[in-house]
Amino acid sequence: MRRSFASAVCRAAEKDPAVMFLTGDLGYQVFDEFIAKFGPRYVNAGIAEAQMVAMAAGLAKEGFRPIIYSIASFMTARPFEQLRVCVSYPDYPVLIIGAGGGYTYSSGGITHHAGDDLALMSLLPGMTVTAPCDPLEIGVLLPQLLKLKGPAYMRIGKFGEPEVRCAEPAVLGRARQLAPGARVALVTTGALAAVAQEAVAVLGREGITPSLYHFHTVKPLDTAVLERITAEAGAVIVLEESSPLGGLASAIANWMAFGGHSARLIRLGTPDSFLLGNPSRETVVERHGYGKQAIMDACRAAWQQAV
Amino acid sequence: MNIQELEKKAREIRATCVQMACDGKEGHLSSSLGYVDVLVALYCGWLKIFPKEPGNPNRDRFILSKGHGCASLYAMLADRGFFSPSMLADYNREGSCLPNHPCLHALPLLEMSSGSLGHGLGVATGILYGLRLRGSGARAVVLLGDGECNEGSVWESATFAAAHHLDRLLAVVDYNGIQAVGKSDEIMGHTSLEEKFRSFGWGAVTIDGSDMKSVVAALVRFPFEKGKPSVIIAKTKMGVSFMENDVLWHYRKPSEEERLKALAELDARPIYGVRS
Repeated sequence: MRRSFASAVCRAAEKDPAVMFLTGDLGYQVFDEFIAKFGPRYVNAGIAEAQMVAMAAGLAKEGFRPIIYSIASFMTARPFEQLRVCVSYPDYPVLIIGAGGGYTYSSGGITHHAGDDLALMSLLPGMTVTAPCDPLEIGVLLPQLLKLKGPAYMRIGKFGEPEVRCAEPAVLGRARQLAPGARVALVTTGALAAVAQEAVAVLGREGITPSLYHFHTVKPLDTAVLERITAEAGAVIVLEESSPLGGLASAIANWMAFGGHSARLIRLGTPDSFLLGNPSRETVVERHGYGKQAIMDACRAAWQQAV
Repeated sequence: MNIQELEKKAREIRATCVQMACDGKEGHLSSSLGYVDVLVALYCGWLKIFPKEPGNPNRDRFILSKGHGCASLYAMLADRGFFSPSMLADYNREGSCLPNHPCLHALPLLEMSSGSLGHGLGVATGILYGLRLRGSGARAVVLLGDGECNEGSVWESATFAAAHHLDRLLAVVDYNGIQAVGKSDEIMGHTSLEEKFRSFGWGAVTIDGSDMKSVVAALVRFPFEKGKPSVIIAKTKMGVSFMENDVLWHYRKPSEEERLKALAELDARPIYGVRS
C-alpha cells in the first residue's frame, strides 16, 4: 500500500502545484521520487506531530493541499486537538494519512496500535474517513480525496497487500459490492476485504453465497447501500479491525437502530481492550476471531439461521 | 503616528476594553490590556494591513494565539476600520461576531480561530512556509501569552521555524507575569524565555512592553538576526494601576465604580458609544 500511495502522491503533485507532502519523520526512501521531483513541497516536520498538523492548517489556509503522514497512532490520537482546532474547526482541506492503521503494527506493542483511528477521526465534524482495501484503490481514491473542500483521513496498511477483485469502480462515499449474494451480507472495510473475498470464494463452493460489500468510506456512511443490504439480507456480518466503539460496525448499528432496520447484526473484530503481549498480526486475528476461518464459520451459522 | 499619538491610541484602546468588559460581562482584562502597546505599534504603522480588503494576499498576517485576550484585538481592528466600532457593543453576546474566544466563522477576516493555547505559532509556520514557496514577502506576527509558553507545542513550532529559517516570523510574548491560577515565573521555574528562544535558534529581545518607545524601537530592528525568526519578550503592565499584578483580573469584570476609576486614570474614552 505504501508504494502505491507514494506514487499516487507523486501523480497528484504533478497535476496540482498546490499539493504538498509533510511527514512526521516516517517513510525512509519511500518518498525519494517525490523529493527529487518536488523539493521544498516535501517537508519532514520531524517527530513533532502537533507542529505538522498546525503547519498543514497554515498551508491549507494559504491555498495549498497538504497531505500529512505518520504512523496511524501518532497521526490521530497524539495531535488530536490540533486536528480538531486547526483543521476540522476551520474545515481546511488537509489529507491525513495514518500508516499502519488498526493493528498493522500489532507486534510493536500498545503504543503502535491504532484500533481507534477510524473512531477518533469519525468524531471530528466534517471529516471524511476512509480505509482502502488495496494499493489499487488507494490510487483511485487519493485524487478524489484531494478534491474535497474539507479534511479527510485515510488509513493505509504496510507493504505487499493482495489485490481485491472488483468490477465496480471506487467512488468516494459509495460502498463497493465485491460479490453478489443473498440471505447474508458480509460487510467490511480496509485490508480485510481481501480475506473476506477469499472466504466468500470457499463458501461459494459449498453453496453458501453471502453478498460482500467493502466500505472504503466509513464516514459519511453509504446509507443507500445499507438500505439495500438490510432489505435483502436477514443477517449482516460486519468485519472490522477497529475498536467496537466508533468504527464501521458501530456506525452501522447506530444507523440501523435509529432507522428501525431489523436485520440481525453480527460483528467480527478486535475488542475494546489493549492487546498486550506484543502479538503477531496472525495471533491477533486468530485470538479475536476475524480471520478467514472465523468469517466462514460466522457466514455458515448466519446462513442456516437466516432461511 | 509619533510616540505621543501611539500612546494616546493605546489609552483609547484600553478604555475601550474596560468598557467592553462591562458591556459584555466578560473578564480577561489582564489578558487583553497588557499587550495593547504592542498591538497599537503593530497596527498603527508596522503591519501592512488592508482594512477594506482584509483578504489581500500581500497583507502581513497577525495571529492572536492567546485567544482569550481578544477584546483589545477587536477594539484595534474596529479602530483601524476593519469593521464599525459600534459592533464592539456586541462583544461576548450570544451569536455575536465578537465572541470571547475569536472564531473564524463569526469574524472571517481573522487569520485563525483561537482559544486553545499553543496553536498559533504552528499555523504561522505553515502560512510563512507557503508564502515563501509563492515568493511572497509578507510577514506573520504571532501574539503569545507567557502562560501559553507552558504548552509543548509552542516549542515544536519554535524548533521548526528556526530550522527552516522563517525570518519573516515575529513572535511577541505578552509577559504579564500571571496565569489563570498563579505567577508564570513560578510555574516556569524562574527560567528565562529569552534564553530559551535563543537556544532554539531565534533572535530574541526582552523589552518593557508597556513603554511605547521600547516597543517601536524593537519592531524597527526586525528581523533581529538574519535568517532567524524573531521574538520579543514584552514585559507588560495592564496600564490601570489598581488592576496591576493581580490574578483576580483574569476573571473579574469591573464594577461601575471601577469602570469610572479606570477610564479617569486612562484619561481616554471608549471608541464606541455605549448602548443604552
